Amino acid sequence: MSFRGLMILLTALCAVLFAASLLIGPAGFGIGESLSALFGGQGDAITLVMQEIRLPRALLGVMVGVSLGMSGAALQGYLRNPLAEPGLIGVSSSAALGAVIAMQTGFAKTVAFTLPILGITTELTMGLPLAGLAGAVVSVLLILFLSGPRGNSLTLILAGIAISALAGALTSLVLNLSPNPYAIYEIVFWMMGSLANRSFSHVWIALPFMAVGWVMLARLGRGLDALTLGEDAAEALGIRLTRLRLTMVIGVAACVGAATAVSGAIGFVGLVVPHILRPLVQARPSALLWASALGGAAMVLAADVFVRVILPEQDLKLGVLMALIGAPLFLHLLYKTRRAMA
Amino acid sequence: MSRLNVQNLTVRRGQCPVVDNVSLSVGAGEVVGLIGPNGAGKTTLLRAILSLLPFEGTSSLAALDPRARARAAAWMPQAREIAWPVPVETLVMLGRVPHLAGGAKPSEADHAAVASAIAAMHLAGFETRPATELSGGEQARVLIARVLAQDTPLILADEPIAGLDPAHQISTMEVFRREAAAGKTVIASIHDLGLAARHCTRLILMDKGKLVADGTPEEVLTADNMARVFRINAHLSSDASGLLFQPLSVLA
Repeated sequence: MSFRGLMILLTALCAVLFAASLLIGPAGFGIGESLSALFGGQGDAITLVMQEIRLPRALLGVMVGVSLGMSGAALQGYLRNPLAEPGLIGVSSSAALGAVIAMQTGFAKTVAFTLPILGITTELTMGLPLAGLAGAVVSVLLILFLSGPRGNSLTLILAGIAISALAGALTSLVLNLSPNPYAIYEIVFWMMGSLANRSFSHVWIALPFMAVGWVMLARLGRGLDALTLGEDAAEALGIRLTRLRLTMVIGVAACVGAATAVSGAIGFVGLVVPHILRPLVQARPSALLWASALGGAAMVLAADVFVRVILPEQDLKLGVLMALIGAPLFLHLLYKTRRAMA
Repeated sequence: MSRLNVQNLTVRRGQCPVVDNVSLSVGAGEVVGLIGPNGAGKTTLLRAILSLLPFEGTSSLAALDPRARARAAAWMPQAREIAWPVPVETLVMLGRVPHLAGGAKPSEADHAAVASAIAAMHLAGFETRPATELSGGEQARVLIARVLAQDTPLILADEPIAGLDPAHQISTMEVFRREAAAGKTVIASIHDLGLAARHCTRLILMDKGKLVADGTPEEVLTADNMARVFRINAHLSSDASGLLFQPLSVLA
């Protein structure tokens, strides 16, 4: 299949899943009335559900999926390792730590905005995603400081692992010492990752960061291709590796930090999506960036539809489902790799 | 005309100089063999010339900005890294990266350069095969083809013919000679002194970071140099086909 054909196919898949995400839900409206409420609507219940609940949820699914898929492809390309994933540089665990601290201290409920969205005024507490973003920013600064100005991929991994471990330990510490069982309950469920009960304010808070991240990651293509030959050869091909690394780290951090801040920890997307799509783009890292962006969006949208279909009565968390799907997928890849080696 | 000018180049690891005050100048049409025992500083010298590591002294290549340097000199590292199973043709096309404007697709000239590089390294028929599935020697030829596709006046290669079968070792050296005859310059580190003697127009001998001899193969491959630097006895003669060099025994 040509690259263009693959991109058209993935775009069509995303469009179908986006529509499914808009049309499937516990409220059980018909397709016709859903669509007319989405585009028109007179402020009744169905309009509210479509415009204020399902539309932002579907949009966040696309945004989070694109961010995670692209970040995964960029990191795997830069590190030349198919097992790299966005969590590796410690940004997601740091964003989670920021959010956890916000929930524990009550900061999560302090920053309130009153936003008029689509004509309806809603009051929203944005402390949680803001604290998550702050955690991500701090971790990026730490990574850049720790891995050094002339650092290579190895120092980057080591810095990422150190930060990841520290953020994980501090998150456990907060849970460990928390005097408030409700906060613990809230934190544990938030960390499972979900797109439920998100609003347009989540879209607006994440979009600027993600957009910056997408633009930065999109510029990496040629450098990542050249890195196929190793760091020395890439540098001799005129690629400025220090700049490439800086662009990659900031791009991944903006994407993953914003994604974690609005949706909690959703694993496996950044790991599995590039892995599945690599053979379809003949392993070209630059092509894989774009394919993984669409593939990530499709995967998150699909999973988010599934959690509503499988257990509509209970709040099945997206991150849990993703891990349940992701782990067997990985076993399948392992099986295929072993067969190829035999 | 000088293609590369290196003056008083020194690279230190800690306090110890790994390359010690090397000066050399290489002109168009030369095939320079960089020889010396393991750890003599050949790789370090080549990488410093390309500004891939910090050094003291001057290198005319290092003075260029990265993009101009990539159009002036192609570099084949010793580590033959191919990270992803990309098709051979895609991999060779990476040599065109310095010639492409930002975001531009490869032009007809780029495709022509790739095709002729693939033909020169006898890789016709391999174009669509994933490069990682080839044998080690075939991968080395693909990487040499990538360097040729870069189409630079100067080619620097670190042990390009190590691990190739005899026919491909000879044909690769002949490709280098052909490039040089067309006005290019090749500098390659080589351990096979027999091939170096026959195919290089000039040899540079390094030992313990220092440049100890620089000249034609006859001038450099002397019994004295072989004994002092390599600690070997060797046979050197010439017939109608060229120089014949054969290491014979290790000196006590």
